[in-house]
Amino acid sequence: MTPALVGLSHRTAPVEIRERLAFPGDEAVHALSGLRDAGVEEVVLLATCNRTELYLESGKEETLARAVNFLERAAGALPEPLPNYLYRRSGDSVALHLFRVVSGLDSMVPGEAEVQGQVREAYQRAAGSDPAMTGAVLNRLFQTALSVGGRVRSETAIGEGSASVASVAVELARKIFGDLRGRRVLVLGAGETAERMVTSLGREGVQGVMVANRTYDRAVDLAERLHGRAVRMEEITRALADADIVLTSTSAPHFLITASNLTAAYPAGVTSPLLMVDIAIPRDIDPELGSVADVFLYNVDDLQRILDESLDRRRAAAVEAESLIAREVEGFALWHRSLAVVPAIRALREHGERVRAREVARLIERMPHLSGADRDAVEAFSRRLLNQLLHEPTARLRKAAEEGRGEEALAAVRHWGEGHDLA
Amino acid sequence: MIHLIALLLYNAAFLLWLRTLLGGGRGRDAPPAWTTAAGVAAHVVAVGTYAAEFRELPLVGLGPSLSMLALLVTSGLLGAVVVREGERVGIVLLPLAIILQAVALAVGIRPSGTDPDFQGGWFILHAGLGLAGVVGIALAGASGGLYLAQFRELKARRMGRLFYFLPPLATLDRLGRVGSHVGFVLLTVSLALGWAWTVRFRGTFGQDDVEMWWGLFSWLAVLTAILARAARGGTPERRAALANSVAFLLIVAGYVVLRVTAHPEAGFL
Repeated sequence: MTPALVGLSHRTAPVEIRERLAFPGDEAVHALSGLRDAGVEEVVLLATCNRTELYLESGKEETLARAVNFLERAAGALPEPLPNYLYRRSGDSVALHLFRVVSGLDSMVPGEAEVQGQVREAYQRAAGSDPAMTGAVLNRLFQTALSVGGRVRSETAIGEGSASVASVAVELARKIFGDLRGRRVLVLGAGETAERMVTSLGREGVQGVMVANRTYDRAVDLAERLHGRAVRMEEITRALADADIVLTSTSAPHFLITASNLTAAYPAGVTSPLLMVDIAIPRDIDPELGSVADVFLYNVDDLQRILDESLDRRRAAAVEAESLIAREVEGFALWHRSLAVVPAIRALREHGERVRAREVARLIERMPHLSGADRDAVEAFSRRLLNQLLHEPTARLRKAAEEGRGEEALAAVRHWGEGHDLA
Repeated sequence: MIHLIALLLYNAAFLLWLRTLLGGGRGRDAPPAWTTAAGVAAHVVAVGTYAAEFRELPLVGLGPSLSMLALLVTSGLLGAVVVREGERVGIVLLPLAIILQAVALAVGIRPSGTDPDFQGGWFILHAGLGLAGVVGIALAGASGGLYLAQFRELKARRMGRLFYFLPPLATLDRLGRVGSHVGFVLLTVSLALGWAWTVRFRGTFGQDDVEMWWGLFSWLAVLTAILARAARGGTPERRAALANSVAFLLIVAGYVVLRVTAHPEAGFL
């Protein structure tokens, strides 16, 4: 069996095409049933926001055509034929592709961790369906891939550092406050980026979100979504005194927080570290506040620069990850090539077992006086003998297959088998 | 020999931290922490062997007491593991322990044949608590120094190796607070015991004793550092970090100056 892959990703298809083949939630389960109905019985469907891929146990043209046909039906009418967006892989290059995908090397943000879970979920969905939709090759491929993904993340720096502006803000907050549980956030502006940042901070345990916006109703809306409370713009000085973290993203044409706000909020000076993240353009916070000793002020350029540095480090780590993946692909390829001789090994063993059973039966028939224990001993002896006799040829067959001489070895076995009743 | 093994393990732990720092500041904390633990275990065995052989704890004489101080420093470092990323202060404390142990080995870790007065339970308490107090101060000083370094990184808007390697400001502040408070209490009890013993058995206030003055100086330095947290200007955390690191440096500098200038007969450690 030679594995194959057909799919599309952010590298080959725009979002309006990818979203047609997204298969969110339970749709992936239905899609697997649809594939089975279409005659594709061993397949893993990996569908994320950036890719939709079908990993096939068998790369036969017929199976591939059915898989493509299924995708075409699922996508419906498109401006261009679907195959224009698709890529295909077969054999060892499937392993290389999947190992790179699971390691985050093929992601929009190098090293992103989410894809590892998505691959695991896709594999479990196929392997756990009844009957299982994965065979020996897909099982080995995905189990190795998941292990490779884990190793790449633990042995290289591919997943380290921040991968988005929101995660930079979280990283900064953690380096100042350590545990973020119970920390209070003041949000100025009800924009999407600010919301993403607060949501990320919320996952770290931040509580007590205060939202202020020019339009009070929007502040109320966002505050409700973030389980916080809305404050009016004229109250921000008071709210500032209660906050550990300030996030601003309004479209105000002038500074909303200046030295006078800070002085009013902290008449005796800032008494605990204060993190201020200003992602607004034009800026909402007077940059002069950055010179106040215990105020840590970052604007959108600072965050972007930090993010770029982090992504550069990830890209540098990708080189190391690629060489680890190359070794793992080689290991998978060796295993896969060794499969070529598995039927011959099985036939050899079955033949040996038949001969052994026949000869033991004959011997026992001729020696009826043997006790039960003696018969068991003869049985055990014959099995040990058979195993020892077959061990060397089995190992040599596997090695020959791994070295690419599988056909040669198979021919030798077939030739030998003609003289023996080898199945 | 076992003392040397402990020293080698401390060196190995420090190199592992250094590798983490140079490798981008991130990495698993377990290998250096476990290597430190192995060093502490070896050191404890060495102390036990010393005690069994010489029927006294290594608290008297330059070599034994420096080695004991090194052991307490690394034990204190292991204690910092309870705080997330706290063990990373090892980047400062391990070199300190390595220097102490190396000097101890160089001068020899053996009994000095000092007055038997310095071998009783009273003395063990005084010296043991005093050394443990110094460890608390060392922890506070190291945490303070690292706090200031991390503060600098954050203000400079850098996210380099040091930024990723160093623990959060809050963690460093917590370690500094615990170190200075515990150090102060232990040092106070140690000094009180030593002074009471001197007054009772020697009939003197110990005003001619260089160690007494160094102890008093250290006690005042730590007290000042603790009070600095309550002073005005800036956040208490940053004031305390600065005060702790300065106090520790002054105590070490005071020791070195007294050690170099003290009369050899004075018996200063």
